[in-house]
Amino acid sequence: MNLYGPQLATVVDLIDETTDTRTLRLELQDPVAREVFSFRAGQFGEYSVFGAGEAPFCIASPPTRPGAIECTFKLVGKVTTALREVNVGDTVGFRGPYGNWFPLDDWKGKNILFVAGGIGLAPVRCVIWNVLDRREEFAEVTIVYGARSVADLVYKRELEQWATRNDVTTVTTVDPGGETQDWAGRVGFVPTVLSQVAPSAADAVAVVCGPPVMIKFSFPVLDKLGFADDDVFTTLEMRMKCGVGKCGRCNIGPVYVCKDGPVFTAAQLKQLPAEY
Amino acid sequence: MSGERFLGTEDLAGLVGDLLAAGTQVIAPAVAGTCASPAALASSACLRPGAAPELIQYLSIQDPALLALGRGMPSLSLKSFFLPQNEALLHWKQRGSAIELEPAPVERRRRVVLGAKPCDAAALEILDRVMRWDYVDELWVGRRDATAVFTLACPMEDDSCFCPAVGAAPDGTRGADGLLTPVDGGYLVEATTDRGRELLAAHADRLKDLDALSDGADLRDQAEAFRAAARERVAANLQIDAESVRAWIATHYDDPLLTALGVRCNGCGACSSVCPTCHCFDIVDEPDGVGCGTRRRCWDTCQTGKFTAHASGHNPREDQNVRFRQRINHKFSIYPLRFGEVLCTGCGRCTRVCHAGQDLVEILATIDVAARRGEPEPTAAGEGDAA
Repeated sequence: MNLYGPQLATVVDLIDETTDTRTLRLELQDPVAREVFSFRAGQFGEYSVFGAGEAPFCIASPPTRPGAIECTFKLVGKVTTALREVNVGDTVGFRGPYGNWFPLDDWKGKNILFVAGGIGLAPVRCVIWNVLDRREEFAEVTIVYGARSVADLVYKRELEQWATRNDVTTVTTVDPGGETQDWAGRVGFVPTVLSQVAPSAADAVAVVCGPPVMIKFSFPVLDKLGFADDDVFTTLEMRMKCGVGKCGRCNIGPVYVCKDGPVFTAAQLKQLPAEY
Repeated sequence: MSGERFLGTEDLAGLVGDLLAAGTQVIAPAVAGTCASPAALASSACLRPGAAPELIQYLSIQDPALLALGRGMPSLSLKSFFLPQNEALLHWKQRGSAIELEPAPVERRRRVVLGAKPCDAAALEILDRVMRWDYVDELWVGRRDATAVFTLACPMEDDSCFCPAVGAAPDGTRGADGLLTPVDGGYLVEATTDRGRELLAAHADRLKDLDALSDGADLRDQAEAFRAAARERVAANLQIDAESVRAWIATHYDDPLLTALGVRCNGCGACSSVCPTCHCFDIVDEPDGVGCGTRRRCWDTCQTGKFTAHASGHNPREDQNVRFRQRINHKFSIYPLRFGEVLCTGCGRCTRVCHAGQDLVEILATIDVAARRGEPEPTAAGEGDAA
């Protein structure tokens, strides 16, 4: 098989996160490939439905829990529509892992703040579980997550698990108007809630992922809290085809997002033209 | 040049016949028709004084009589012989919930390109960098490895040519295995790589030693004079400091000059199609019937809005001038920064083919002036269009 040939993978489970967002759990069919497959938190893959094409998503499951690959996608386009139609037992394609990763080893002993919005929790969830599975290596862990409405919160069961752990501070919020009568979390936009929670920037790093508008307003809050741009990490979404630095689609200025990213610091982003 | 040998016109035809008889594919400029429209004339550069209005293309030829070496600029580059306009990556077949995959073959039959424009051959070497970057593109590399390329010294086609300004040359052998130079009665030929030397050795009976020819010294002088004259002619078209241009673009994304230079573009993407170095592609699935299909890669262009459009509707490059900036940026800043090579060989095709009048010679000259002066220098054309 050539560079662009995918591994075949079987859908072993599917979880509806919201009405339009689903998680697929995949197992590579080739036993050797399944055995040797490894990746780092933050890397992505090209997932395909034969006949519909390929699309890049992060690997949403943590590398500390090998055996299966999870992807969480929202129904928006051609490939995600086709992915939505696959059932348990069906075969899909997977190429990867590609791209760089979050430098967890550099974060040992530090406080870690996760800030996510909507389906932006998918790549962050990979890092959260990676950190929690290596919990003793890190100091305080804080999660600030929000969505437009209660119905739009993804990974609800895991949010509950994190909320009940006493070694994690979990703050969940929904946008004003998105709350239900029995909603016990916060109400407010993620950047606002982040400024209210005001986690300390001392010896801390932040991982931020969400819609562009959330990222845009969260960066200044983090800056005000004292986070250095080098300590704020995010992962970019760009349209990609090859995933391996050939097809020229994911350039942002001098950067190939598929090879140099998708993980960037806020300091790196500030050097790039606003083409993302 | 040393090590040159003489290849008479008839021996060239004989050599092509020998190659074909041995099962080698021969790719060479050939007459594909006539330039039957002003647009075809313009894009094939056959308005050169004295040139017949022929449509020249690189073709896989079956008959030596079809060779049309040195008869003008092929209107398309060699690119499609290495990165086809569309090609199968794999075939898939569905059996219940299982899928069977059949990869496209990588092994290629032996090929020889004769009479490539030096700018088109240089593009191959430039693209080798990205195609071998970390992940090796076996489809590209397979075709490269199977293909010997001999360039033909170019007299310069027209004032859209600017190869020396971007590190190529009208008598260059970058990306090639040897060079032919036209002389009276045939060509002087020299191999510059082991692959080229092996090819010439295998066909030594078609070649004559210059020292054995009574006019050998004269032929050598003729060839050198042809090359020197071409170098001088084309150098006059454009002179820039490529490193200053690169540095200026990298630090002036939002400069009004780049916007002004981009506004004329209407995003048709013709420049990318004819460009020997534009290599952006799409990957799509096409059904071949019920339950089976082919995954293909197809040429794509950064000049269309869909290129970067997300499924959500968000588009990082919403405006055409930004997309034009990306093309300039990728060629003259991003690629040199990453791979040490300008992603352009000065062939001039984008200028000839552009119906909006975008002229890369003018654009590079303008950026070069801005880079040297350290400030923007809008062109009259750019200002007019911007207004």
